[in-house]
Amino acid sequence: MALRDLLAALDLAVFERLPGGLFEPVGRLPGWFSVTAGFPADLAEHFPMLGFFMPEFERAWEEGAPAVTSDMWTENGANGEERQLEAVASSVHGRRFLVLKVLPPALRAFRQHGVNIALIEEEVRRLKIVAERATQAKSDFLATMSHEIRTPLNAVIGMADVLAATPLTPEQQKYVEISQRNGVGLLTLINDILDLSKIESGKVELESAAIDLRDVIDRALEVVEGRATAKGLTLRKTIAPEVPVYLIGDANRLRQVIVNLLGNAVKFTENGRLEVAVTPDPEGSAPGDLRFAVSDTGAGIPEEKLSAVFESFTQADSSTTRKYGGTGLGLTISKQFVELMGGRIWVESTVGVGSTFWFTARFGVQEDQSDRLINGHPRGETQVSPAAREPLASGLRILLADDSEDNRFLIVAYLKNTGSSVDIAENGETAALLFRSALAGSQPYDLVLMDVEMPVMDGYSATREIRRFENESGAPPTPVLALTAHAFAETAARGLEAGFTEVLTKPIRRVTLLEALVRHAPAGRPALFREPVAHEKVRVEEGMEDVVPGYLDKRRAEVSAYRQALADHNFAAIRALSHKMKGTGGGYGFPALTELGAQIERAAKREDARDVRVRVDELAQYLQSVELEYSK
Amino acid sequence: MLKKKICLLGAFGVGKTSLVARYVHSQYSEKYHTTVGVKIDKKVLAVGGSEVALMIWDMAGEEDGAPVKLSQLREASGYLLVADGTRSKTLETARSIRERVESEIGRQPFLFLVNKADLRDSWQIPASELSQLAADGWTILETSARTGERVEEAFLTLASSMLKAGNESSSEEDD
Repeated sequence: MALRDLLAALDLAVFERLPGGLFEPVGRLPGWFSVTAGFPADLAEHFPMLGFFMPEFERAWEEGAPAVTSDMWTENGANGEERQLEAVASSVHGRRFLVLKVLPPALRAFRQHGVNIALIEEEVRRLKIVAERATQAKSDFLATMSHEIRTPLNAVIGMADVLAATPLTPEQQKYVEISQRNGVGLLTLINDILDLSKIESGKVELESAAIDLRDVIDRALEVVEGRATAKGLTLRKTIAPEVPVYLIGDANRLRQVIVNLLGNAVKFTENGRLEVAVTPDPEGSAPGDLRFAVSDTGAGIPEEKLSAVFESFTQADSSTTRKYGGTGLGLTISKQFVELMGGRIWVESTVGVGSTFWFTARFGVQEDQSDRLINGHPRGETQVSPAAREPLASGLRILLADDSEDNRFLIVAYLKNTGSSVDIAENGETAALLFRSALAGSQPYDLVLMDVEMPVMDGYSATREIRRFENESGAPPTPVLALTAHAFAETAARGLEAGFTEVLTKPIRRVTLLEALVRHAPAGRPALFREPVAHEKVRVEEGMEDVVPGYLDKRRAEVSAYRQALADHNFAAIRALSHKMKGTGGGYGFPALTELGAQIERAAKREDARDVRVRVDELAQYLQSVELEYSK
Repeated sequence: MLKKKICLLGAFGVGKTSLVARYVHSQYSEKYHTTVGVKIDKKVLAVGGSEVALMIWDMAGEEDGAPVKLSQLREASGYLLVADGTRSKTLETARSIRERVESEIGRQPFLFLVNKADLRDSWQIPASELSQLAADGWTILETSARTGERVEEAFLTLASSMLKAGNESSSEEDD
């Protein structure tokens, strides 16, 4: 009796197999069995697994094997709960028993646990792949979008530049300037976004080149100079005497950080001064550890907003966005660049007094810190900005390959007054053919401008072809300047491999293209400085016929005043003269005079006598050669 | 009535049990339950005018170190090979199971189910691989136990191809 109950208490359902294949319960059957199975008569019917093992069990009983165990299986109970079962066939003293037993829940839990972990691991792997794909997709999207945006923007900014160089009324000039300014603003924004995404995907690597700290700061100051002057702000640069100025580092990134900080400073400052100061980093250990401070006397930032200013798309107050514009990306990018340069960036600010943005950065130091002569003048001397001295490559034979009609038109317009001849190819194949026949006809091109993405044959292949022709004929390599709207460095690397001499990124400003031409114009065809729009005829607007000649006469008279002031080192007088000319030239139909006026004014402000002299010479030459055209 | 045994084979977590629950009980549960050993369900269906009782052997999913017990495939008339579209590794498991079945048990009618079609957006198994398998002669259905998409069709298709194969070889196990 006790044995019967013991079997049930152990959750074992035990049957004796009788001759003829019937199963008779031994003792009391446990509770789960009646719930699951019903009657022993349909044992194999109810437990298909049992049916599956029965042939094996029959053999075991025949042989009198003490115990043969089935695989376990899962049964659903009447209430949907699951049980793991196992069957054992056993022979004891010639009697044949079948035991069904429920396996402990711990077994299932253990297995479930293991499988859950394996599933989670697979999910993590999957999510990782998804995330990597998303990052790649974002990168590709940005590269493509930047290309798609830059290409038309190239035409927009370029055409505005070309338009600005034609005679315009003051009103038209204003419109063109707005268009130029916004075009450039949009380009900056695209570049910022691209920069940020490149930093985020770890694609930014700092350059390690020789730089002149003073030059970097001057160039940064030049960028904001116009805006600062317009607001009447003074700009100051202070480099502590113990700071080494010949450094090794990434000039472009450093300048970008300073420009970003200065740009903010000028934006939020209504009067007073902006200053860039450099000292050794008090917490640094190496001589190249420097601390920069860009300070202003502007609105200041409330204390509670200070921590957020380095976050993306954040300005101290969303209303500042409306008032001052900007995306707030500049500081985020600056922070990233500073960290790449091994430093940190922070801000101190008092509302109503001003802000100082500090950052530290680590540079290598060049061994020789003595001032060297570069291009005949000391390197430390303030460089003349590119806009102030527009170079001109003259008389070049240029081959231009670009499939976009707008771009071809733009480049041809840029080269209009250079005396260069431009042959055009609409794809790489045509370009290669033109190049070869020019080479064969002993009329080789001086320079090739090569779009990268073109139908039929792209710029990479065409350039490889060109390099092959040159090799075969023993001709010296011709400069091939690639024009691409792809801003990623990979394009540049691939292009240099294909044989590009230099890669220019669209949108290309006129001055950038001309500078590149000067850089690469073959020796023996020297680059000339511009004879300012010399042979151009200026059309006098209707109604202006009576005043224009008089206006020009007055300017001619002023040339000697400039020269006198120059001799007296009276830069204030030069500034007054040039400022007036800057303000009036365009209005009378002479944008060239406005431009020259601006250039002279800038040079005078820097007290750069040499530059003022060059500009005044240009002015004199222009006034001599300009021809007036009247409407019928 | 004609009685046919079919098995569901595949990696763990591909949804074998859920496919059976959807087909037999029209149920779906988000909760994951690993199957221990084998779980057997029955379903009577009509194929070509005659009734067939399907014995559906839902076998524990294959894990690293725990291969499916192919011996349990004995006497089966066909099987559903199941993979999870969101985990490309489960396709490799399916391929490997298929090869072992071929070499250890022999050719049997089977249908390849790529399950979790409701998550198609995050599938990892490339369409090109599926077309390659189709070119190799696999019949492929994309199913979802969650939505029921093509689940019934899967069981029916396997059942009728089994009956066809059975008629051709005329080795029936009627009872």
